Amino acid sequence: MISLWRVKKNVMKKFIWILVFNLSFTLFAQELLPNTTLKTLSGATTTLAEIAAVDDLIVVSLWATWCVPCKNELDAVADVYDDWVSETGVKYYAVSIDDSRTAKRVRPMVNGKGWEFEILLDENSDLKRAFGVSTVPYTIIIKSGEIVYKHTGYTPGFEDELYDQIVTLKD
Amino acid sequence: MHKQILTVIILLITVTINSQEKEWESRFDEISERLNVSFESNAQWYLNDKKFEDIKEDTERLRANSYLRIDYQISDRFSSGFQLESYAPEPLLNYSKIFDEEIGLGTFYLNYNTKKLDITLGYYYVQFGSGLILRSWEDRALGVNNALRGGKIIYDPTNYLRLTALYGKQRKGFDVSDSNIFGFETQFDIANAFQIESLNSLKLGLSYVGKQEDYKSDTPNPQATIEIPELVNSFGAQLDLEYKNLYTNFEYIYKSEDARLNNFIPNIVSFSEKALFDGNAITWNIGYSQKGFGIGSTFRRLENMRFYSERSALNLNNNPTSQLSMNYLPALTKQHDYTLANIYIYQAQPGLVVENYEFPLVKSGEIGESIDVFYNIKKGSLLGGKYGTKLSVNWSYWANLTSTYSNPSGTAYFVGDDLTYETELLNFDDKLYSEINAEIRKKWSPKLKSIFTYINLNYNKGFLESKGANDFVNAWIGVAESTYKFNSGKSVRLELQHLSTNDDANNWAGGTIEYFFNSKFGVYLNDSYNYEESKITENTEIHFFNLGGSYTKGSTRVGINYGRQRGGLLCVGGVCRPVSKNTGVTLNLVATF
Repeated sequence: MISLWRVKKNVMKKFIWILVFNLSFTLFAQELLPNTTLKTLSGATTTLAEIAAVDDLIVVSLWATWCVPCKNELDAVADVYDDWVSETGVKYYAVSIDDSRTAKRVRPMVNGKGWEFEILLDENSDLKRAFGVSTVPYTIIIKSGEIVYKHTGYTPGFEDELYDQIVTLKD
Repeated sequence: MHKQILTVIILLITVTINSQEKEWESRFDEISERLNVSFESNAQWYLNDKKFEDIKEDTERLRANSYLRIDYQISDRFSSGFQLESYAPEPLLNYSKIFDEEIGLGTFYLNYNTKKLDITLGYYYVQFGSGLILRSWEDRALGVNNALRGGKIIYDPTNYLRLTALYGKQRKGFDVSDSNIFGFETQFDIANAFQIESLNSLKLGLSYVGKQEDYKSDTPNPQATIEIPELVNSFGAQLDLEYKNLYTNFEYIYKSEDARLNNFIPNIVSFSEKALFDGNAITWNIGYSQKGFGIGSTFRRLENMRFYSERSALNLNNNPTSQLSMNYLPALTKQHDYTLANIYIYQAQPGLVVENYEFPLVKSGEIGESIDVFYNIKKGSLLGGKYGTKLSVNWSYWANLTSTYSNPSGTAYFVGDDLTYETELLNFDDKLYSEINAEIRKKWSPKLKSIFTYINLNYNKGFLESKGANDFVNAWIGVAESTYKFNSGKSVRLELQHLSTNDDANNWAGGTIEYFFNSKFGVYLNDSYNYEESKITENTEIHFFNLGGSYTKGSTRVGINYGRQRGGLLCVGGVCRPVSKNTGVTLNLVATF
């Protein structure tokens, strides 16, 4: 952004105009789901819309096997997931953005760690792009087919904040 | 160009706003619901550093790469979007110079989607199989965007068959490649089609990718004896099988004959015009997993598999960031997060080099294997403790393909050579890299967690970083990190690293301390220090430090950092990105609306 000061004045003006236009939409958090195809671990295809049609309250977290904060988030959620499900009925989907370099590590890692939530694959980052995400982890909550909460990054204790959000959205 | 973009945006807004007769507020609601906007900007102010050479006078000190992406769901079936990119006044250092506009339209598309049909016009991203034959993708941190511009149709006639056909030219900065790319893929779900219920899954994939390009050379050979093919084809087959807790996957690619780059004047593109070479790739994965235990193994052999939409991109002196690549050939070693674990990194060796300066040199590809084991020690057991312990171990080994050189006509190398080679199918002798690493994750209490990592690697620096003979670096790296969580989102993380070696630049020490005031705002300090004297003085006794902070609210994140980068992956504040060697202040802004 800083260096935009140096951009020709008219280009700058246009850019600001575009930005202002975009920012005016930040007031609205609700969003439709992209129709991006995702794979399950056994190779079947699905979309977030199909999943949301079955479950009303869903958490979707984009992660990768090489991302330490992502694994911290998923380990933390795995520890309390049973309680989350019994208390709120939420379903948690961890969508791996691992490309073919590391995608083969997903299945043994998930089982080895004993994670019990659902795992989906986004091997060419189609969902990541559709969400406009540049870094993982990235976590969203979907309620009745619409995105109602988004969060980027993981800090220790974020799982508690996420749980509070889920409880608020439960009914 | 800028005017056109604006006209499109304004048109989009006016059409969607005016064509509906609802209250203004609900119209606005609907638009915002259908609209997805994301913005990212990475800016850096480069500073002189007494430890490095001064930045040249005419170099722009303040640079930024910015991206604005807008997607709009026009109706149930139609969606459209575009991405504006700004590299102003110039792209960040080490990014490809092909991104040469202060602001420009990077990509745009129109998509039609029903249950059986998916049609995209404009720019699209696509992957066949595991990407060995075709992959177009975007990675902003790496400065890669090789989307195809043209059309793509995916058709699912039944629930067990998927057909994909595409045509396009590849993105080249704000331009496209001077070639045509055709692709076709069939995915057949055999288990589903024949109702084989004893198998969890059995699938077959067949693919074709062709590239049509006129032959161009900076120094055409008047004595050329062969015709350089206008069309280079590659064919792929892939089989996936899953039975109970076992899975396996096999993929084979054949790439048809093409000219070999002749690299004898480094920045000049010339080709051997007396011999043609084909290429191939084999991968085989097999694994088993059950709750609490998983094991997976990957074998891969690549021979002459670099495939670019423009032949001249094979000259990596001119193309260091590997633009215009049509397939994806990553190194299959474990990707590490820690700074000291990113000093000796193996890079895949898929290309073909046959030359004879003072001595013959042949590199025709790589062969190797990687194995992962994951194990969860149960809660309540002796080693598991109250909260369980998670273990993972990874081993990998990569070698140069064993090849023999031949010079059939005896022509001198500099006079239009016809050098060629022969290679063995399964020979692992010519070692390039090996690594074994283990990670233990332990939760001590609800507030305290630790991760211990051990890596032992063997890196053929002589072969991988220059054309010289074997020269191995044998190093081990130990990392211990602990996170303590206070109440109300406060937490502190301490990480200590050490790299031990008697080779190359000798020992390094490093560490990070990170403190979060709450879940939104955190600060950190990290350092890597090559404290021991050695014959490699490039980094000796220089603190590669980073001091910074980040603020996150929802999906908006602002990060600021002051530091000296050695290059590698930087992971702090819950987010990772690769960085390159420099000193300065960086500002990152990411937001989605």
